Amino acid sequence: MDLVPTPYELPPSPTGPGERRPVHRLQRPVQGRRLGGVCAGLADHLGLNVRYVRLTFVLSCLAGGAGIVAYLFLWALTPQGLDVTPVAGNEGVVVSRPLNESMRNVVIGLALLGVGGVLFAQQRGVNLRLGVLIPLLTVAAGAVLAWSKLDDAERDRWLVREGVVGRRAGLVRLGIGIALATVGVVVLATQGRGLVGLWNVGIAAVAVLAGAALIAAPWGVRLWGDLRLEQEQRIRETERADIAAHLHDSVLQTLALIQRKSADPAEVVRLARSQERELRGWLYAGPLGSKASLASAVTEVAHEVEDLHGIPIELVVTGDRTLDVGGAALVRALRESLLNAVRHGAPPVSVYVEVGSELVEVFVRDHGPGFDLGDVPPDRFGVRESILGRMSRHGGSAALRRLERGTEVSLSLPVTAESPSAESPSGGRPDTDARPDRVAQPHTEGTR
Amino acid sequence: MTEPVLSQAKSIRLVLVDDHRMFRSGVKAELDDSMVIVGEAANVDTAITVVAQTRPDVVLLDVHLPGGNGNGGSDVITGSAGVTSESGEPVRFLALSVSDAAVDVIAVIRAGARGYVTKTINGQDLTDAIRRVADGDAVFSPRLAGFVLDAFGAAAGEVAVIDEELDRLSAREREVMRLIARGYQYKEVAKELFISIKTVETHVSSVLRKLQLSSRHELTAWAVGRHLL
Repeated sequence: MDLVPTPYELPPSPTGPGERRPVHRLQRPVQGRRLGGVCAGLADHLGLNVRYVRLTFVLSCLAGGAGIVAYLFLWALTPQGLDVTPVAGNEGVVVSRPLNESMRNVVIGLALLGVGGVLFAQQRGVNLRLGVLIPLLTVAAGAVLAWSKLDDAERDRWLVREGVVGRRAGLVRLGIGIALATVGVVVLATQGRGLVGLWNVGIAAVAVLAGAALIAAPWGVRLWGDLRLEQEQRIRETERADIAAHLHDSVLQTLALIQRKSADPAEVVRLARSQERELRGWLYAGPLGSKASLASAVTEVAHEVEDLHGIPIELVVTGDRTLDVGGAALVRALRESLLNAVRHGAPPVSVYVEVGSELVEVFVRDHGPGFDLGDVPPDRFGVRESILGRMSRHGGSAALRRLERGTEVSLSLPVTAESPSAESPSGGRPDTDARPDRVAQPHTEGTR
Repeated sequence: MTEPVLSQAKSIRLVLVDDHRMFRSGVKAELDDSMVIVGEAANVDTAITVVAQTRPDVVLLDVHLPGGNGNGGSDVITGSAGVTSESGEPVRFLALSVSDAAVDVIAVIRAGARGYVTKTINGQDLTDAIRRVADGDAVFSPRLAGFVLDAFGAAAGEVAVIDEELDRLSAREREVMRLIARGYQYKEVAKELFISIKTVETHVSSVLRKLQLSSRHELTAWAVGRHLL
């Protein structure tokens, strides 16, 4: 048998010395900070205990405030770290901070500056007409709140992640924003007038607004509808173009090939089968997990053999797990078994892979004349080495049995056991029939 | 797979429901003489009418069909509820699908189909499956058995303590499902487990019942999450 490596060999683990390490830059960590994270970052960068660094800063503050200046300087110039690895000296307190915290800090800072400036100016005798300024500021704050909500909603719609909780918080924010803005406008409008004036102004404003809405409503609604319609049409057209492009690249090409090779039934079957698979994958492809999962590796191997020999393979997989070294060996043994079934057996060939919590089991069944291991000449390495040997080297086991019609190869690999190294002695492998949940096997052949 | 147990002599009255005419004629050519095709339909509404008029033994039903409420084959089954065949038995449905999407398959089974096979099935196996369904038994393809093992958590080792439990498979049912998933015919399953074919059929029917009645919440979530199998 060929020993062509399948693409499922795991790359050697990158543990060699002299592997490149990420450049270590001075950063202010998000976790484990007390103030701005300067001390924590510095301690991490210099490899010191964070307590000593903090103590140093506190002490140096006594020296004419040098510590404060240094701290502010570093704080301003050091970027905030994005990694969330806990910092040494962190007492296990995980402080989660939202990403837009810095934005909030800036806003609060600006507000404080503004208030300070106003107080200062007032003290110097400048009349800032606070009666106008405060309502204006209130309106601005309300508008910012409301608009930031709208912005969030838009972003959420694009990212399609509308959590109910987030939406509720957003609505509260929107409400507060609108209320703030309204209060601001009203206070502004009632400068120097009493509550009666407020009432009159309010009624007048509502009347004007209602009138404007009544006039503009039909037009607005139609405009909105047109816009939606146009958007939908454009989306549909784009989708259609995508589908057409895909069909052209795949199905039409294959159909052309099939017409040209219509004299060769095996080739036609192979083409149709692989095209079917490709189209199915395109149509139903969902979040199926990463490439490095056992189920996807098994599927890929089955498809590969199918393509190689043009014999359909019925594959059923239940469960999944990440692909480790043992799993990769299992996949290679499966490939060998499939090649055997396809070459020496007869269709239908079926594969059942069951990934359980403790055991991965694989069954490969064909409907050929069947064969005994004793009949296989000793110089043939396929079954003995690539299947039986490989499985036992990785702590699993393999068995071959002859059915009334065809042969069934069963491979099993315990999940929990650490895969021993490839050179473990061949003795002492677990017996296939010792497994507790094994289906009763009245006529198991000699397995090795 | 030829099995002497099945009633060979009785001819089976069949309705084909599929929106591809080419596929319908292909099936017709493959079936043997014991099958009499009494009607054909290409969409949900015609199918319901044809089934009510012809009262067949078995309806061969595509999962994806135009018309109705948009649920394809499931709509035909719900629309034909209560219709009996000429011999007084309820009309049985065998789902036939090219889609393999778990959502569709589970939906049509839960609507009341007695089994599910893929469209790539060969003529002989299809004939056997139709006979089995006509006899009131269930037909599971390896793939459907795999679905069931996955959806009921049986692959992960969950097994019912009492047989009546709807949300799990019994140990025996799990073994039967595993063997079917491995590509065994009912006859081979019976031989493997030292039980009669009738017992295998009983187990499969009971799994089908659980699949239709179970309120196991993972079942739906699982089917939705698993687009392709």
